[in-house]
Amino acid sequence: MATPSDTLDKVGAGLDALDAPVEAQKPPLWRRFVKTGVPPIIAFALLLGVWQALWASALLPEFQLPAPVNVWNELIRSIGTGEAFSVLWTSLHRAVFGFIAAVLIATPLGLLVAKVRVVRAAIGSLLTGLQSLPSVAWVPAAILWFGVTPSTIYFVVLMGSVPSIANGLVAGIDQIPPLLPRVGRALGAGRLASARHILLPAALPGYLAGLKQGWAFSWRSLMAAEIIATSPQLGTGLGQYLHNGSSLNDINMVIAAIFLILLVGIGIELLLFRPLERAVLRARGLTGAL
Amino acid sequence: MTATLETTVLSTVDTAVELAGVRKVFGHGNSAVVALDGVDLKVKPGEFVCLLGASGCGKSTLLNIVAGLDGATSGELQLNTSRPAVMFQEPALMPWLTAARNVELALRFAGVGRLARKRRALELLELVRLGDVADKRPHELSGGMRQRVALARALASTTVTADGAPALLLMDEPFAALDAITRDVLQSELLRVWETTNTAIIFVTHDVREAVRLGQRVVLLSSRPGRVVREWDVTGSSDSVLDEINTHLREVISGHAV
Repeated sequence: MATPSDTLDKVGAGLDALDAPVEAQKPPLWRRFVKTGVPPIIAFALLLGVWQALWASALLPEFQLPAPVNVWNELIRSIGTGEAFSVLWTSLHRAVFGFIAAVLIATPLGLLVAKVRVVRAAIGSLLTGLQSLPSVAWVPAAILWFGVTPSTIYFVVLMGSVPSIANGLVAGIDQIPPLLPRVGRALGAGRLASARHILLPAALPGYLAGLKQGWAFSWRSLMAAEIIATSPQLGTGLGQYLHNGSSLNDINMVIAAIFLILLVGIGIELLLFRPLERAVLRARGLTGAL
Repeated sequence: MTATLETTVLSTVDTAVELAGVRKVFGHGNSAVVALDGVDLKVKPGEFVCLLGASGCGKSTLLNIVAGLDGATSGELQLNTSRPAVMFQEPALMPWLTAARNVELALRFAGVGRLARKRRALELLELVRLGDVADKRPHELSGGMRQRVALARALASTTVTADGAPALLLMDEPFAALDAITRDVLQSELLRVWETTNTAIIFVTHDVREAVRLGQRVVLLSSRPGRVVREWDVTGSSDSVLDEINTHLREVISGHAV
């Protein structure tokens, strides 16, 4: 005969079986490609078609609206001469160095603002305000302070990305459910252990969002700085390449430069931030946006 | 404010927890609220005590004081146990860690080595019958399963000291947010775990039936300020005790009607 506790054990086992997560089958690779890869390709093709049609209608003169194929030829030419690579390299390594420096500055800054009340009261709103200040606004001042040197460019990049990253970290820490650090204390975690094993991992999604925005800001600040501050000393980055195209009245070059700037933005997002964000969110069961 | 709170660990172990005249006041001056007023309570090693009371009786405050998360305004607390473990109404698992890692976290804070951590965490998950889902993350588990992982984690944090000090588990309405069937199953699960681990348990609830089913002793607290009104020994008790406790709880609550 079954005792009451045996019956309850069976009920428990039944509940567990009912509640056990159902493993979702991963669709085959080609289907995932059709689902995620094809729509943007179609959108791009449509855009090209509209562009081609507009050019063919000859509503705008050639020096304002070039044929897609001419822009393509300009791209091929610059890749052939190696100009595209040197220009990309100049800009990318500046952006990456600037971004790394911004992360190193913004992370302790964000921690301070989030955890030290006086610091938050003192510079919290300034940090938020700086985010809405276009970093191009710093270019004239930076030129007066540093001259047309790499320092000017890095200064503008930092002013663009540091507030975003710091604010992201602050938001991430602010959104930690208060129960988690409490549990940590109940389990015997000291301040350091709590920061390392509870606060930082819990704040990671917000921090990552801040990093992503920080990268975008540092890239666009860099472009703005390069377009405005041009000198032989600075070498030719993407911004200068764009500026040169404009000076030469060469619309093909201008559009090609814009295309390259966009390409870097999309590339970094797809290759770096998207997979990182996915891994972090998926581990937490936050799959809504994926 | 004089804090005469002392925590001493004695070698003679006939009481696991002893509270004497514990008083807790929140706020100052006119807005001060007395949450606990002269609470005396003794818990023997391995004893299962249920604290029963309506809302605002300071049950949770009392638990926090025993847990060391909060200090008493005055009175004495004596713990003859290892570090007390706490379980809350929500499982409060770390969402980025698997079930096993959540349990291991408690052991890591206690300075247990990596291999020993892994082994012990798996043992504890087996104890709450969740060995199969050790690698799942909280969002992949049901509410009842999560609360069982939380139980395993709490046990991990209280049973790490091997110096023979009895373990103590503090539970703050841990099953209140679960559906009736799951609660039923978890109550029997908890009783089984209690019998196998010989842990002293202080279990806070506002559910008389739950208190009588689980506890060996039920302690009724009054509300605002919290005082011990009465205690019942409820081992092998019948429905008449249930009715009696219910009557007293209702009296305590209706005393607050204006």
